[in-house]
Amino acid sequence: MSKVNTDFYKKDIKPIAIFSIVLLTLPFWFEYIGGYKGLDTKIVIWIIFAIGFDLLLGYMGFLSFGHAAFFGTSAYATGLMLLHFSDNIIPAMLVGIASAIAMAFIIGFLTLKRTGIYFSILTLAFGEMLHSMVLSTLQNWTGGDNGLTGLQSPMLMGMKMDGELMYYFTVIIAIVAYYVARRIIRSPFGLMLVAIKSNQVRLEYTGVNVARYKLMGFVISAVYAGLAGSLMVVYEPYVASEFLSWHLSGHVVIMTVLGGVGTLVGPMVGVGFMLYFENVLSVYMGEQWMLVLGLIFMLTVIFLPGGFMQLFGKMKSIFTGGK
Amino acid sequence: MTDIKNEKKIWTRRDVLKTGGGVAAAAATPMFFMKDAWAEEAIGNYPVKGPTVKFGFNVPQTGAYADEGSDQLRGFKLAVEHLNNGGGMLETLKPSSLKGNGVLGKKVEYVTGDTQTNPDAARTSARRMIDRDGVIMWSGGSSSATAIAQQYLAQEKGVIYMDALTHSNDTTGKDKRRYGFRYFFNAHMTGKALAPVISKAYGKDRRAFHLTADYTWGHTQFNSMRDFTEAEGWTTVQNIMTPLKSTDFSAFLTAVLNSDADVLVLNHYGKNMVNSLTQAVQFGMRELQKNGKTMEIVVPLYSRLMAQGAGIDNVEGVYGTTSWSWKQQDAGSQAFTKAFEAANGFPPSQAAHVGYCQALLYANACEMAGTFYPPAVIKALEDFKFSGTGTGDSFYRGEDHQAMRDILVVQGNSKAKSTGKYDLLNIHQTVKAADVTYPVNTFKGELGPYKPA
Amino acid sequence: MVNSIFLQFLTGMQLGAIYVMISLGLALIFGTLGVVNFAHGAMFMLAAYFGVIISESLGWGAAIFLVPAIMFAIGLAMERGLIRYFYTRPHTDQILVTFGLAIVVQELLKWQFGANNLPFATPDWGTGITRLHDYLPFLEGFVAYPKWRLIVTAVSLITVAALFALLQFTTFGLVVRAGMRDPEMLRLLGVNITQRFSIVFAIGVMIAGIAGVFGGPVTQVDPAIGMVFLVPSFLVVVIGGMGSLPGTVLASFIIGLAISFTATIPALANIIIYVIAIGILLFRPRGLMGQKGVME
Repeated sequence: MSKVNTDFYKKDIKPIAIFSIVLLTLPFWFEYIGGYKGLDTKIVIWIIFAIGFDLLLGYMGFLSFGHAAFFGTSAYATGLMLLHFSDNIIPAMLVGIASAIAMAFIIGFLTLKRTGIYFSILTLAFGEMLHSMVLSTLQNWTGGDNGLTGLQSPMLMGMKMDGELMYYFTVIIAIVAYYVARRIIRSPFGLMLVAIKSNQVRLEYTGVNVARYKLMGFVISAVYAGLAGSLMVVYEPYVASEFLSWHLSGHVVIMTVLGGVGTLVGPMVGVGFMLYFENVLSVYMGEQWMLVLGLIFMLTVIFLPGGFMQLFGKMKSIFTGGK
Repeated sequence: MTDIKNEKKIWTRRDVLKTGGGVAAAAATPMFFMKDAWAEEAIGNYPVKGPTVKFGFNVPQTGAYADEGSDQLRGFKLAVEHLNNGGGMLETLKPSSLKGNGVLGKKVEYVTGDTQTNPDAARTSARRMIDRDGVIMWSGGSSSATAIAQQYLAQEKGVIYMDALTHSNDTTGKDKRRYGFRYFFNAHMTGKALAPVISKAYGKDRRAFHLTADYTWGHTQFNSMRDFTEAEGWTTVQNIMTPLKSTDFSAFLTAVLNSDADVLVLNHYGKNMVNSLTQAVQFGMRELQKNGKTMEIVVPLYSRLMAQGAGIDNVEGVYGTTSWSWKQQDAGSQAFTKAFEAANGFPPSQAAHVGYCQALLYANACEMAGTFYPPAVIKALEDFKFSGTGTGDSFYRGEDHQAMRDILVVQGNSKAKSTGKYDLLNIHQTVKAADVTYPVNTFKGELGPYKPA
Repeated sequence: MVNSIFLQFLTGMQLGAIYVMISLGLALIFGTLGVVNFAHGAMFMLAAYFGVIISESLGWGAAIFLVPAIMFAIGLAMERGLIRYFYTRPHTDQILVTFGLAIVVQELLKWQFGANNLPFATPDWGTGITRLHDYLPFLEGFVAYPKWRLIVTAVSLITVAALFALLQFTTFGLVVRAGMRDPEMLRLLGVNITQRFSIVFAIGVMIAGIAGVFGGPVTQVDPAIGMVFLVPSFLVVVIGGMGSLPGTVLASFIIGLAISFTATIPALANIIIYVIAIGILLFRPRGLMGQKGVME
């Protein structure tokens, strides 16, 4: 390998190494900060979801309020596979992700033609439509309001997927997902995404088939959402209709923006922050945790659009540069 | 050939594995001999360490059934109070092994959660109580969807769940689970008890339009009501499934007005019922004359809280069924009602009653079994016959974990006769357990194993 | 038969009546200011809460006047204090901050009043049944309709008419309409756009306020209704054509009627609004009455 290439790859090694170490050791120190078993797996699943969402929002510049559509579609597909086909998670997850991709092509085709605002509203509408369909129109297959119950315990090669095994399985997938995301950003394709964000029209004039890149970017972020959705069903063998609701879509938006849009690492911090708030701090704060989080979110959007990452950057420069 | 005498021993991987294996085997050997001493392995959050034992109460604090949730929580709190200090139904429950000093010598503590009347939130909250708070059992809920979701979780995790307010046939029907027990009655029992009463009151050639909450409970209640009313000679004109989140029923009520039905059956509960009944009255349905008869409204599953929400003018004369009423005069009911009123200043609803009783029944089963070990507690509850809890001679059927007990047919009171704002439902008839019992094979489903799966 | 269709039509109109008032505010704000107000549903909800409190303490008459006035003031404050700073920021930021505001309002109401609904009683003069068969001879037999729903429908029609009158016949309205077409030009002509923008925003919120106080008794008042009404309102604006007020009015009533006439097939009724929106998207992206080229 030439020197240029190794330098290029070196850029990725450090962040990925830190990411891996933090996640791999999490179960050991998590309880000291109030976490509990089970919550750690949930956090990693959401991190995968948020990474994909950040690719769409932070790099391509499109704010989707309906990403639950892909999370939920994959979850239902995975659940149905576990319910009717076999308890092996590999085919179930593959079908889940494939269904998210299919849904992304359909929704993307219809919504990406419009500008940012229209796009956001339409994605919200599609999410809600799927939510409604799962509750009434398709309830014979989806279990309606009950959700999909009675799923067999998910198995991988004869081992039951729960507890520590599930956690480490998820972490490995997350590390790969993060690595892939970093490679995407620094590839020519990633450059296209950023170009779309900065000025779509101008890009079109240079002869680039913008529509195709937009769709690809959208589908890729849906893959992450679908992966997270199917992992969620493996972690908790139950599919809730809530998986398609705007609440879920709203959560990933909040997490990503709070953490820092366009940084990949920021959303992870956002995930940890929000889930920590919801599950740990809520004991002390009671039911007002969402109010506090909402206020923090608003303040972040107004004063600190770069989220926590911007805050860390500022603090870092105070400590290092301000001598 | 190399001279290996002086070579330093390098630990190869194979060496590590061999040594490790030997060490592990040596360490495990004592366990093999001691294994028989540990006849009860850890299941769920058993064994319970320390001087206290934790119960979890997962109630709807938001959503369509939230009013029932807060009352249920009051019932639970009272149960913990009585379990730790005696009083209330501890004195009337027969047979009782409860001593009033906690359970198996441990003081009872509790944690609470919010089901949001939503199965996913209920499951998440329950899981938190199991994983984070270490509860040995949990109870609570006002919707069958949440109950069913939680029963599946109970079976997976090996932690017993005592169903609270759930009326769907599925809970002890196709979704029955070994780790769940239901004391509340079900839609089948409602249909069986109510249909004869309303056909006697309104006549045998009525045409019924059903508005049904679109989820498991609504579906099963519609099925049961339809089957039993049609057996009495009624015709079912139409059924519309209304989304659980609906608040405005005008479009559906318009459809009712446009049909030739002369009875409106509201398979709704909680806020759904408060809204649909109020709006039905606003649409003039109680004054309407159809087919030469006055239009009537039936609310198969009632609760005093719902009646309060709808207002006495709207519920007057409307028939339905409930599990229990504070107006009951038997010793168990009175003991509970008096204690509840003393603690809260107003009488309890059926939501509070079922929560209270379930907590007591579980604790009693632990005392009878002499342990918290879930399979033993489950066996103690199965086929347990008891009385003194306000539901007559009751019995937890082992084949489906459904309690066979008395239920009440009630009718909305009139303003003139009511003694106060809690006196909204008159007991029309107490239907004995024997009259609402049904064969086990009426519903499909299997309980599952005693060990978590 | 006539009865049946008439009743379904009436129900459709009253369902559309509430949508129209919320959506108009949204369309007005978006058409003139280009701001996507994700907190608009929360404004409707807030007004409903004010309606409950004021009608119980000071009476309904006071509520009818005070609530829109309060919402107008809130709208002004919101525009001057928050929205104004986002005109130059990317659109996504606007959506995010108003979304955040919606959540904060929702949680504040939940904290203050609990998550359960507040009973919102209609005033005595509005309670009860209107015996329509007394007024409309073509109806057969006994046909009754809740009085309040008829009042809501009437109020919404009056509000729509008043708004159009304002826009069509006043100088202020002229400036606003011009601003909707070409804000740059207005600025170049020396018109003080900023002040007018505040007022437009406040009017939009005020109309949602009228929807809240009159519609509250019908839709129920709890912390979730803000978001429940937000999505359909946006879709109505999209279907009508973003930037077209007549389109929004038309779309509202079309949606109301669609829901009413499909009520007996719930599987369809629940998704009919999405089906229509997608249909419009595919075959007429500018909406029913939108201008060509806007938002394409």
